[in-house]
Amino acid sequence: MTLPGNNTLIIAQREYLARVRSKGFWLATVALPLALAAFGVLPSLLLMRSDATHRLVIVDVTGRLGDEVRRELTGGEAREVVDAVTPAGGDGARADFEIELLGEFDRGDLNRRVLAGDIDAWILIDDASLEEDQIRYYAESVSNFFTQERIENAVSAAVRAWRLEAAGYDADEVGALARPLDLAAVKVTPEGEKEEGVAAGIVLAYFLFFTLYLLLVIYGQQVMNGVIEEKSSRIVEVIVSTARPFELMLGKLVGICSVALTQLGIWMATVIVLTLPGVVAAIAWIPQGTTLPTLGPGLALHLLINFLLGFFLFCSLYAAIGAAFNSVQEAQHFAVVVVAFLVLPVLLFWKVLNDPDGGISVVTSMIPLFTPLLMMLRLVVKAPPAWQVAVAYLLTAAFTWALVWFSSRVYRVGILMYGKKPTLRELWRWVRYA
Amino acid sequence: MPARDSDVSAAPAIELVGVHKSYGKLAAVRELDLAVPQGTIFGLLGPNGAGKTTTLRMIMDIIAPDAGTVRFFGRPRSPEDLRRIGYLPEERGLYPKMSVFEQLLFLARLRGLSRREATLRIDRWLERVELAAWRDRKVEELSKGMQQKIQLVGTVIHEPDVLVLDEPFSGLDPINQGLFKDLLTDYRARGRAILFSTHVMEQAEKLCDHLCLISGGRAVLEGTLGEIRQRYGGISYRVEVAGDLARVASLPGIEQATPQNGGLKILLTPQADPAAVLRSMLELVEVREFRRESPELEEIFIRAVREAG
Repeated sequence: MTLPGNNTLIIAQREYLARVRSKGFWLATVALPLALAAFGVLPSLLLMRSDATHRLVIVDVTGRLGDEVRRELTGGEAREVVDAVTPAGGDGARADFEIELLGEFDRGDLNRRVLAGDIDAWILIDDASLEEDQIRYYAESVSNFFTQERIENAVSAAVRAWRLEAAGYDADEVGALARPLDLAAVKVTPEGEKEEGVAAGIVLAYFLFFTLYLLLVIYGQQVMNGVIEEKSSRIVEVIVSTARPFELMLGKLVGICSVALTQLGIWMATVIVLTLPGVVAAIAWIPQGTTLPTLGPGLALHLLINFLLGFFLFCSLYAAIGAAFNSVQEAQHFAVVVVAFLVLPVLLFWKVLNDPDGGISVVTSMIPLFTPLLMMLRLVVKAPPAWQVAVAYLLTAAFTWALVWFSSRVYRVGILMYGKKPTLRELWRWVRYA
Repeated sequence: MPARDSDVSAAPAIELVGVHKSYGKLAAVRELDLAVPQGTIFGLLGPNGAGKTTTLRMIMDIIAPDAGTVRFFGRPRSPEDLRRIGYLPEERGLYPKMSVFEQLLFLARLRGLSRREATLRIDRWLERVELAAWRDRKVEELSKGMQQKIQLVGTVIHEPDVLVLDEPFSGLDPINQGLFKDLLTDYRARGRAILFSTHVMEQAEKLCDHLCLISGGRAVLEGTLGEIRQRYGGISYRVEVAGDLARVASLPGIEQATPQNGGLKILLTPQADPAAVLRSMLELVEVREFRRESPELEEIFIRAVREAG
């Protein structure tokens, strides 16, 4: 590898301008944050909101609890205190119940009604179930967690109140005494204490992590496609007659990296503007008193470092794959392997979020292929020991350097190869003889 | 000739000395010596797979030779020298989404021109190839023939001292072929050197001063067109006879006989004495014509390739 010179800059400049001038870039700049927000919010909304009326038959053989359960579910005269002890589901979980109360039952008949779609479900409250502390829910579909959770809470509340009264306590009074407390999270950082809701912390972690993830996946793919395009449009040999293949590869990486940084910059600037105190107050849909997560300069620097490490690590691989093959379809098989290394950290997202100093989090965040995403996540959640960050960065930088070297050799040979797909053995020969 | 101080004035523009390149066990180019004099058009000929592209790529430092050196105006070629060469590879293309101007500007800047200088030259060239109206259009909107013109302009935009062209005429329409030929002769007239590869002998015969035929990675024949003709000139004859043609063809000393225009075209073996062949022919048939012909380059080459094995 010789030192890159002026050629690298000319190539990077072409790459940058060609992309930033395209409509696709601006579309992605607007669409990506929206998509990210949608992915974050939609599933929980979809899970929680069950619009349909749930037609439920309550079979209360004991004759003591049915009315109370119905009140709990329909919210009619539900007792406030009991509600306080067992808040039923989330806010969005208010599915309407249409309840039919039976004192005795015919199992066969009820099951037939379920299958006929006449009712959605039935529950059985009898002495045996009270002894076992378990009531049964009969339905065709049993995956509606939120509805089931509400029924469970309603029955529990009714049973609790009945048991308290049976034991001679005043249910209202006990409820008031046993009221739960809120946990307000205060984040301790080297800069001092910072009151930050759990939700705000997760939101920040979620956005930084997935922004990084998406940037690496999308721009990696762009590097690969760009290399294949240069190959298939047969421009590449014209260029490498004056620029070294390494300069071409590096110029391409630097150019596309600058595009990604521009995009990241636009997003950050937007976030900063939107979170200015005056602006927050002006946005009506943000509930009063919400503490929005803030991105300090320290975290921003780490974001930049992790992005650069991840970009050159993965994109040099993508460049090598692009050079080795003649079409996107051919290359895709190999690209999947690279994507797998990006997806694994996503699978570990909740684990690391919950337990940033646990064994798995520490080890995986120090493996170069995972460092950019997982170390970033740990940094957002809780500052890891400095030595771990330093070691992870050094390892990743060394690994990235080795990969760039490896990729440049595959690239050098690959860009001039047309025709059949290379085998793994041939690829290895390219690396040795390049 | 815009020579540099370090250039040796009479030295070949490009010289290969003992250049060797193999891919694994396959030797693509073997011990090749080649000298492209200044002010000439040099044709590198050979069948497909002979090693032409590998040779040109080694000249352009796209592929490193396993052994041997590439010299440029009498001294080892340096990376800076590459900017003094206009290279047109066999696999050539343009960025489809870029405008004609941006495309040429990019290529010109890679070859060391300033933005200002490049802009002036691009506009002058676009006038010359009658594509000025397409300056700001995307390359993909151009016809194939127009794209070929742009490629040509991209190759010479930096006024190189040497042109290295790999199969420059393949896929060209007749108009562009003419444009290329004019450019080549224009370059030669200005004392510059042109090296081009082709597998079409006709083009080489019409354009080249020097020829080198390679086969199996080896030079099997080299020299000026005249030298080559002279060396092999005595062996092809046109014969018109009355009698059994098949008996004529089987005479000793005749390597090949092909019917042509009512007569025979015969190639003699290099050892054969034409007078002896004629005498033995007269014993068999009535000979009406026995005339020495200048053989076509193609025949010479087919023969040379066959003899080289």
